[in-house]
Amino acid sequence: MRNYRHILLTFFPVYSVIVGLFLSGIMMLFLGENPLVVYRDILLFAFRDIYNIADIFAKAVPLIFTGLAFGFAYRASLFNIGAQGQFYMGCLASVSCSLYLSFLPKPLLLSICLLSSLVLGGSWGSLIGYAKARFNANEFLLSLMSTYVAIAVMNFLIRGPLIESKGEYPQTDVIAQSAWIPQLISHTRLHIGLVLALLIAAMAYFILWKTTLGFKIRAVGMNRNAARFAGIDEKKIFITVFFISGAFAGLAGFTEVNGIQHMLVQGFNPLIGTEGIGIAILGNAHPFGIVLSALLFGALKVGGALAVQVSNISSSFLGIMEGFVMLSVIISYFIRQRIMIALEKKRLQEESKVENQ
Amino acid sequence: MVIYMLSDDKDIIVELSGITKYFPGVLALDKVDLNVRKGEVLALLGENGAGKSTLMRILYGMYRADEGKIKINGKVVNIESPKDAMQLGIGMIHQHFTLVPVHSVVENIVLGTITDQQRSFSIGETAKEIENLGETYGLKVDPRATVNQLPVEMQQRVEILKALYRGAKVLIMDEPTAVLTPQSTEMLFNFIRDFRRAGNSVIFISHKLNEVLEIADRIVVLRSGRVVGEMPREKATEQELARMMVGHELSGIKLKAENNVTLGKKEPVLRIENLKVKGSLGHWAVDSLQLEIYAGEIHGIAGVSGNGQDELAEALYGLRLVSEGSIFLKDLSLLNEQTRNIIDQGVGYIPADRHKEGLVLDMSVEENLVLKGFDVSPFSRKGILQENSIRRYATEVIESYAIKTPTPDTHVRYLSGGNQQKIVIAREIAVAKFLLIAVQPTRGLDIASTEYVHQSLLRARDEGKGVLLISTELSEILSLSDRISVIYRGRVLKTIDRRDVNIDEIGLLMMGVTTQQ
Repeated sequence: MRNYRHILLTFFPVYSVIVGLFLSGIMMLFLGENPLVVYRDILLFAFRDIYNIADIFAKAVPLIFTGLAFGFAYRASLFNIGAQGQFYMGCLASVSCSLYLSFLPKPLLLSICLLSSLVLGGSWGSLIGYAKARFNANEFLLSLMSTYVAIAVMNFLIRGPLIESKGEYPQTDVIAQSAWIPQLISHTRLHIGLVLALLIAAMAYFILWKTTLGFKIRAVGMNRNAARFAGIDEKKIFITVFFISGAFAGLAGFTEVNGIQHMLVQGFNPLIGTEGIGIAILGNAHPFGIVLSALLFGALKVGGALAVQVSNISSSFLGIMEGFVMLSVIISYFIRQRIMIALEKKRLQEESKVENQ
Repeated sequence: MVIYMLSDDKDIIVELSGITKYFPGVLALDKVDLNVRKGEVLALLGENGAGKSTLMRILYGMYRADEGKIKINGKVVNIESPKDAMQLGIGMIHQHFTLVPVHSVVENIVLGTITDQQRSFSIGETAKEIENLGETYGLKVDPRATVNQLPVEMQQRVEILKALYRGAKVLIMDEPTAVLTPQSTEMLFNFIRDFRRAGNSVIFISHKLNEVLEIADRIVVLRSGRVVGEMPREKATEQELARMMVGHELSGIKLKAENNVTLGKKEPVLRIENLKVKGSLGHWAVDSLQLEIYAGEIHGIAGVSGNGQDELAEALYGLRLVSEGSIFLKDLSLLNEQTRNIIDQGVGYIPADRHKEGLVLDMSVEENLVLKGFDVSPFSRKGILQENSIRRYATEVIESYAIKTPTPDTHVRYLSGGNQQKIVIAREIAVAKFLLIAVQPTRGLDIASTEYVHQSLLRARDEGKGVLLISTELSEILSLSDRISVIYRGRVLKTIDRRDVNIDEIGLLMMGVTTQQ
């Protein structure tokens, strides 16, 4: 019985996706559209041809990274709301290396871009961890605010030192071909970054459950006090976790700049951090769950984008739909928490009844 | 039972009769009768868990009694919340203050008193009112100061003013002197005398006999939820009060095992000298404490809770900063070392709260068993957990300690309290090569599990480890310890060999009375 309940709760976020789709379906009715038809179109378009299917995976790649960024920190009971900023830092590092080191051979250049985005994203994140360890600052607020700082830094660089040679728009030049991540399937947008994302997800899993570092992270995450009594230095964990978390988000910058856009545009992919939060919650903060939910969001994006072109629904409705799904996923997290507490209370009450008999 | 009947009933302001309160598993109060008269200071004495605070919380509307009646000025009343209690003129000063730290004194005092009908409100006028109130009772405090900038004794004044502002005629004070220096205690007592002189009443909860004898008009002693004695101050003696509190049953307690023979060698495993540690309220929780633990002894620390036991244990384990003094494990200083290093030196620690401090409930049995050893060989190599070694070790321990769990990877949350504690004990005894610190190791356990814990501590002792047993259960201390130190206000008042123990003396020492007559 307990296991049965446990499994039901594990898939709780999945129900919330259905609720979100249902709610946006009601909205569509008000707009005079048949939601069933729209959803059918989304599904059909998403899987229409190899290009679209590949695009689902391509869209999922950065979401896997930002999902991992939130999920990994969450395992230590830390809230990294700032994946967006760490992503921008990764973008900046990667695009700068691509622009200035384009003379290097491709494998070396790509490795440098990868490393630089990882290090800059991670360092940006570890500042939050440091502030928490040193000053007991609230990491939720700090990470949230750090995104705005990152945006300001990016705007300054893109309008200044990194601006395109024409100097017209706030964007960089297109990076040299030697800095492009090779395609995985030719004539699609899917690139080798997918392999990197899957490897990183597997690595996150390995760190969390197979290493002593992961042991410490989980112990701090589940009972900070007991971890302290066991001699685990929580402050080091704060900094380390935020570095790793930020590095994951930074890597999304590398794959987006070098794999998809091949340049950096101001205000680019502005929702990727928020989407990562929803994806991490939907995936139960488990690396494999995060991969699957990132794919689901990828499919919604690809199918939705094409579906709005054939129906009368405006393209902004796609955002509304995504918002509904995201909102209900996040709300489901709190509802699930309440149910868990209620169940736990009931269990304790039953136990004390048995003990008193 | 010693009851001195007091005849005049006309001045009774609060009358509690037949109050019974049941908490899951315990009868906290059993048909308690208590009267408070106008213009008297009534002291409520009793050990931890005697029911003093529970009784007062019922009077203050924080708990509801399962049975019994409360009369105020002769009328039966129904007190459902502190608000009701305040309207009836009852105020309570809690041990842990209930102030908003970032608000000013005035704001704290008026909080909750402004009604919706009241359209306007002047901070300035209220501040004057509070100043006047403070002057009447010698409780001067700047009404515009922010609470978190005030020292502890000032915050207590604000609490008192808060109750007075609400028109309290009966003031309940729950161990008000616990955090005060002797000087501030004297000032508090002056206030209590003034307050009483004005025809009001005070219910004073305390563990400290000398204070009770100084301030109280009448003393009521509670033990295990019952009133076991009542007497006017003139007739009270320290000895008699201590005996009433502790009870006669304890003198029958025998040691569970003979005193350890190796004790003759007197080889100290832990030496604490002149230790000073600050408590979370900024007072000296541990104050120039001296203590020596020998290898192969169980050294019991007896004392009423809140006399520095928690702070001492935490300081020994690197979890709280030591301000002065020295701690030596054999020849090695543990002073302000990192917990990790202290563990590596062979010091185990059974914390008071296994759920909060001892276990990670959402980790598995095997993970909890290696919570302090996961990062050393054979449980890990080069930062990678060695799952097979961990599993093998856990299986062994589960068998030898008879831990009832479906599998080694079951979450600890799903185990019973006794089995959870077995995990803590097994882990800490493995860690404790030289010293085992046990803080309230049997709290909340059933009889069989308690016995198991006791036997484990005795076994650790027989293996030549020093065991520091900190417990507020005097019976536990008496049945296990080879030597007993009594702690009071952060100092060890006396260390006594178990064979020479006199229960009355221990009882008196726990209440801070050192002179044996």
